[in-house]
Amino acid sequence: MSLSEQNKLAHIALSRFGMGAKSGSILQIRVNPKSALISELNNPAGALITTASLPSYSDACQAVETDFNDEEKIRQRELTARILKHTRPHVGFVERLVLFFSNHFSMSINKDGAIRATIGQLERDVIRKHVLGNFKDMLLGVMRHPAMLAYLDNDDSMGPNSVTGLAWGTGLNKNLAREILELHTLGVGGGYAEADVASLARIITGWSYVRGWEAEGRYNGGTPGTRGRYVFRPDWHEPGAHVLLGKTYAPTGINQGATALRALAVHPSTAQFLAFKLVRHFITDTPTPAMVNPVAAAFKSSGGSLKATALALINLPEAWTAPLTKLRTPYELQIAEMRALGRVYLHNNRWPFVAALAALRHAPWERPAPDGYTDESVYWMGPDAMRVRLETAQLNAWSLRQISPSFTRSALTLAAGLFTSALSRESRAAIAAAPDLQNGLATLFMTPEFQRR
Amino acid sequence: MSDHHDHDDLPAVDQRIVSAASEGCAESRLLLSRRSMLGVTAALFSSAFLPDFARAATNAEARFLVVVLRGGMDGMGLMIPKLDPLYAAKRKQLALPFASTLSLGTDFALHPALARVHAMYNDGDAAFAPAAGIPLLNRSHFECQDNLENGLQVNEANSTGWINRFLGALPAGDPIRDKRGLEIGDAPLILRGPEPVLGWSPTWFEKSNPDTVARLRAVYTANDPSLWASLENGLAADALALAAGASGGNDISVLRRGFVGAARLMRAASGPRVSVLSVGGWDTHSQQGGLTGQFNDRLSELDQALGDFKIEIGAAWANTVVICVTEFGRTVETNGDTGTDHGIATTSLMVGGAVKAGFIGDWPGLAPAQLYQGDLRPTVDLRSVFKGILRDHIGVPSAALDSVVFPDSATAPTYGGLVKSPVTAARVASAARVQRQPTIQEVSPIARYRQQYGGA
Repeated sequence: MSLSEQNKLAHIALSRFGMGAKSGSILQIRVNPKSALISELNNPAGALITTASLPSYSDACQAVETDFNDEEKIRQRELTARILKHTRPHVGFVERLVLFFSNHFSMSINKDGAIRATIGQLERDVIRKHVLGNFKDMLLGVMRHPAMLAYLDNDDSMGPNSVTGLAWGTGLNKNLAREILELHTLGVGGGYAEADVASLARIITGWSYVRGWEAEGRYNGGTPGTRGRYVFRPDWHEPGAHVLLGKTYAPTGINQGATALRALAVHPSTAQFLAFKLVRHFITDTPTPAMVNPVAAAFKSSGGSLKATALALINLPEAWTAPLTKLRTPYELQIAEMRALGRVYLHNNRWPFVAALAALRHAPWERPAPDGYTDESVYWMGPDAMRVRLETAQLNAWSLRQISPSFTRSALTLAAGLFTSALSRESRAAIAAAPDLQNGLATLFMTPEFQRR
Repeated sequence: MSDHHDHDDLPAVDQRIVSAASEGCAESRLLLSRRSMLGVTAALFSSAFLPDFARAATNAEARFLVVVLRGGMDGMGLMIPKLDPLYAAKRKQLALPFASTLSLGTDFALHPALARVHAMYNDGDAAFAPAAGIPLLNRSHFECQDNLENGLQVNEANSTGWINRFLGALPAGDPIRDKRGLEIGDAPLILRGPEPVLGWSPTWFEKSNPDTVARLRAVYTANDPSLWASLENGLAADALALAAGASGGNDISVLRRGFVGAARLMRAASGPRVSVLSVGGWDTHSQQGGLTGQFNDRLSELDQALGDFKIEIGAAWANTVVICVTEFGRTVETNGDTGTDHGIATTSLMVGGAVKAGFIGDWPGLAPAQLYQGDLRPTVDLRSVFKGILRDHIGVPSAALDSVVFPDSATAPTYGGLVKSPVTAARVASAARVQRQPTIQEVSPIARYRQQYGGA
């Protein structure tokens, strides 16, 4: 293989599957770009964030529905740790998988303080923990977490025939059950009916968390010590066996829901849906069965192993041959810019990062709807969005000078280190013609090589 | 820049975008709308190709701006109910001395920060609903904003926005519909749905360096033409929205720039007629302030922005209705932190040359028995007001308003008499059209894939 061919494959690994090139990383992985991805998959511990100062589950729960500022302080610390983590690996394939699954279980911190206080902890202790493990465990972990229960209103869902439901005349909230089927497992057209939504809603009645007012007033068995934590409320659980997708689930309390979710996690439609989403996220907006089926088969035959599924994805011929037509999302773009420069926005200098993502409508953990931020490049490259991309590329180039006045490399040197021969003649010429570092960096960030993945 | 020059100054629009949106194929519309990815420039061109017969039904010159005040705006802080004997006692340190307020006659007065709105009232161009509400009364920002924007009696999953639905209820080729809704800044639920939506964002970032744009143009045209088509359109729309003008300079806030940009785009002969802007910062739980302080500052900026809008939209002001609405009001009494907490009914404010001055709905009263769960009781459903504007200002047929735009809204009858010159009933009737569902099961990507290739 020629050197330029090697550079091209390394560029694909870094951009399509990674968080973006760091200076010199293309040279480090070009001998065997795929093996660089595989070695990340072989290191589950590498997915974890081990910062000791971040809150444990019970610590995060103590902040649930307390004070906005306290919740937000935790969220900011979590975001800092997340950004730093993105910048560390050579490639960042696992980081991309973490972002993919975080968006798969998308939530908005703006709905409830329970989410703001715990979403970072959920991402660390559920998404990252299982991102190279089994999808069943990830699904169950998310559904037994206060953030998701608050976000999709299952905390208040009561079986109409449960002890409390009968006493209070209350009933089901089907939000979470519907989205589990539509967004988290089978997907639209995955072979479920409205009756299955209602049935799953009954099955997971009683899956709740100790709301702030319950902890403070010791209502419904809550105590200050259990504030925010997941709780199964037997008196809210709809009694009896329930049929889901033609299968009967015996009345086993909390285990009824756990069993049902495990079955949904490995359902063939779930395999197809996740495979489709992965191909669409990483390779093309228009996946075909030739790409989706092998990935779905790996998921099925491994019983939901996400590592096996990720391996199947990078073993697709299209993974290395399809043109880089997708556009980096604004969040990925911001991270890629930081990795390229070797500079990270944290604390006081984070505002360019936050302002850019707000303007580009991609603030982390703030998608208002549960469907997650879109994966269609056509959305991210709308005219208004492209104009703002350019403005924020300039902003980041400017702010680099503020936090690193001694930055001496020219934009062209930097571009050569990031892309080597994978940089087009035209892009090279445009960067070289820039009158100063700020315009040179803004041009570099806006080149197709930097924008596409 | 005059309207006549708009077209000359703009580059050719990406025809793929225009044709995809105008073909009317449900699939392409869904694809486009949900993402609101159309450039503003696309609309400025496509409406030029509309057939003349399409211009009969609605009031093609009507302008309608909806300002969503997010966070729950304290209506009693904006408009003081002088008529209520309990006002000073209940509002305590938030109560304003009447002498410092701007009179709206014997019963009400405005916060002094609203000098421009007050002038509009004196011109006969402002109306106020002192106790407006939405169907959902649960004091949750998230759910009440959804309810305000989806226009439904009861919130449903995957709901669409009532503006998107009213646009979709107009006949194909209708000028209001074809000029499309415009979202400024964010992508609100109120515009969500199958109808394509335009987007433009005011930003405070330094504008793009023209030399950098020129160098990128060379790269894109050689290697990635679709990036150039998109960037070029985005820059053109931004230039149009913010063309150098009396108050469009860099010294004004992003919020005011949004109003200026909205006015500039809406005044253009072929520009959008219906726009939505969001204004945050109304969730004043602590240190709300009275004559000074954060609430005063927010009102002052809103007042300036509305004043900017009136100046910038120029002669089209005569055909304009602006309504400022919020998800809920705030508690009557202050909390322990000299702020207010989430409440129920609140003031809605309408300005514009087409607005008939006056008051909408009664004052409910502050005596304990007059309150709803301790908060101000709604005396008018905002859906009634919206229906009145859509019917009489724009010309949306009543049949559509009562079914698809605001389903199950029998308890919220259309509020008449909100505008000076209502669209005549004959024109309204001619616009009748098929109904649409108030929620969408969007054609999700996996559904499309399964339709094409089959399920698992």
